[in-house]
Amino acid sequence: MILQTALLIGVVIFSVLAILLRDLLKSAIALAAASLLLGIIFFRMNAPYAGVFEISVVAGLITVLFVLTIALTKTGEEVRESRLVKWAFPLVFIAFIVVDALVMKSLLGQVPALAAGAESGSFGEVLWRARTYDLVGQIAVILAGVFSVLALFRKREKHD
Amino acid sequence: MIILFVVLPLIVAGILPLVGKVSRRVLPDLLANATLLALLVFAAVAGRPLIAGGPVLQQLSWLGEAVNLRLALDGFSLLMLLAVSLVGLAASLFSIDYMEHYGAKANYYALYLVMIAGMNGLILSRDLFSVYVFLEVAAVASYALVAFGLGHDELEAAFKYLMLSVVASAFLVAGIAVIFGMTGHLDFAAVAAGLKELNAVPVMAIASAFFLLGFGLKAALIPFHAWLPDAHPSAPAPISAVLSGLLIKVSGVYAMARIFLNVFGLTPALSTVLMWLGVISLVVAAFLALGQKDMKRMLAYSSISQVGYVVLGIGIGTPLGIAGGLFHLFNHALAKGLLFLTSGSVQQATGTRDLDAMGGLAKRMPVTAATNLVGSLSIAGVPPLNGFWSKLLIIMALVQAHHPAFAVVAVLASVLTLWYYLIIQRKAFFGQLNAKWAAVKEAPFWMTAATVLLAVLCVGIGILFSLTVTTWIQPAADVLADGIHAVTGSWGF
Repeated sequence: MILQTALLIGVVIFSVLAILLRDLLKSAIALAAASLLLGIIFFRMNAPYAGVFEISVVAGLITVLFVLTIALTKTGEEVRESRLVKWAFPLVFIAFIVVDALVMKSLLGQVPALAAGAESGSFGEVLWRARTYDLVGQIAVILAGVFSVLALFRKREKHD
Repeated sequence: MIILFVVLPLIVAGILPLVGKVSRRVLPDLLANATLLALLVFAAVAGRPLIAGGPVLQQLSWLGEAVNLRLALDGFSLLMLLAVSLVGLAASLFSIDYMEHYGAKANYYALYLVMIAGMNGLILSRDLFSVYVFLEVAAVASYALVAFGLGHDELEAAFKYLMLSVVASAFLVAGIAVIFGMTGHLDFAAVAAGLKELNAVPVMAIASAFFLLGFGLKAALIPFHAWLPDAHPSAPAPISAVLSGLLIKVSGVYAMARIFLNVFGLTPALSTVLMWLGVISLVVAAFLALGQKDMKRMLAYSSISQVGYVVLGIGIGTPLGIAGGLFHLFNHALAKGLLFLTSGSVQQATGTRDLDAMGGLAKRMPVTAATNLVGSLSIAGVPPLNGFWSKLLIIMALVQAHHPAFAVVAVLASVLTLWYYLIIQRKAFFGQLNAKWAAVKEAPFWMTAATVLLAVLCVGIGILFSLTVTTWIQPAADVLADGIHAVTGSWGF
């Protein structure tokens, strides 16, 4: 329980850091750390597949992509961000935590026990048998992503 | 084989970039439009006989083994499929000439068909998580389509749209997680039955709030509208037409109505919230539209306002209100699709969207001016066009349900609507021809053909409104008015 709480707090802290840090590289690494901790939580909560994907894809692959992209960019002129963001985000965040602490406990008490439904089963069964329609959607998302890259990185042709 | 609505556009999208290597223009034009025409014929001709004996539930088999590819088609989804294929075909016909100067046409059609497949997939799904997956399919394709021109404005608008859309998705996933945690199911019928049994009001309220935020952002209801007036005008005209005409309705209104009315059951509290959101949207957006100088931006604000009418109608929860809301949804899809297409013709001819710079274009572009007038009057609710009947139904339903104040507001906002559409008509098309536009010519054939198709439908549905209501709208409204029985009863749980 203590380890679990520590991990959850770690996820929140690193996620907040990812937003607040000014240096993009540090921000990307904070995000990777948050995702790594989340992956460990998934493992501990008996969802090894979710954990593997979270760590390999989000903490690994996406971080590499971020770092590569940041390495390819040049430092340009400093963009001044609105001061409001600096104040607003921590305020909203603190308000959220206060509301969370006050409300969630009583609400969680009212959540009924999870019924074992049609969606349970081994990972393979759920993915290939129960969620087949979503696989069609997954294919479509990948197609959309590929076509988007092709469209957005095409050679510009003149138009008005 | 209702899965064809999803799979056919996906397959064609998959081969289009390859076809584009062989033929840069003709084959992509032909394939994309033929696909949409096939879907339209399927929905319009084969759809109603299919659902004559009740909703169609399909469980497909794959290599002899039953897989859980489960789809559902009922009156409500059929109406939406018809709207998607109709406006989708018109926008795609318009693209034949309009997208010529953007280049990469095969790629454009591929993204366009993926977006159509995403919307159709959402409409046919009978499970909360599939709704989310297909909503993302349509959304991812639409981000790229908004940015397709690659100009500064387009990219900025697409980025803003992406950011707010991601927030919407996060709320939706949170809502789905709450529901799954409570019931252990994602299937509409099982969730509806489970929620009824549990009767856990506070947790339901949280899930409803998450869905309201998520779908509210997708439907661009005020106060969740900030992305729409940037995203919709910046996109190429046929994409603006599909975004305003279809996407906000499928991924916002359709999904919201399906989940709130058929899965959760419309509670009086939820009904009140929906009606207020609708009224605020329709009034505030009408005032915001009045102040616009950019033609497409004015149309974008008008979309927010008209979606307000739709949500107001559905939010009443009475059979008449729901029928009015759905009829207005359909009419607005046609008319707003038409108006964004005519604005595209004007922009292509003059190179500007600034209303003050136009003037007298009716002399040079008579067909565009006439179709634009039909679309404007239809949305403003002038009899005997289709928009009049749907607004009349909504206002009658409001009076019947003892909400006279809302009815008065709806009528007054309709006057505002007429006002700003007359501003467009006067500034762009009527009056003295601005000397700058002396050389302007009528839009090319396919662009005019697409607008004429939609304008004829606006007039035709207005004249044959009772036939349209009984054949298409009433079956859809019945499904929603039936509440959770529609899914728990006949969807096989």
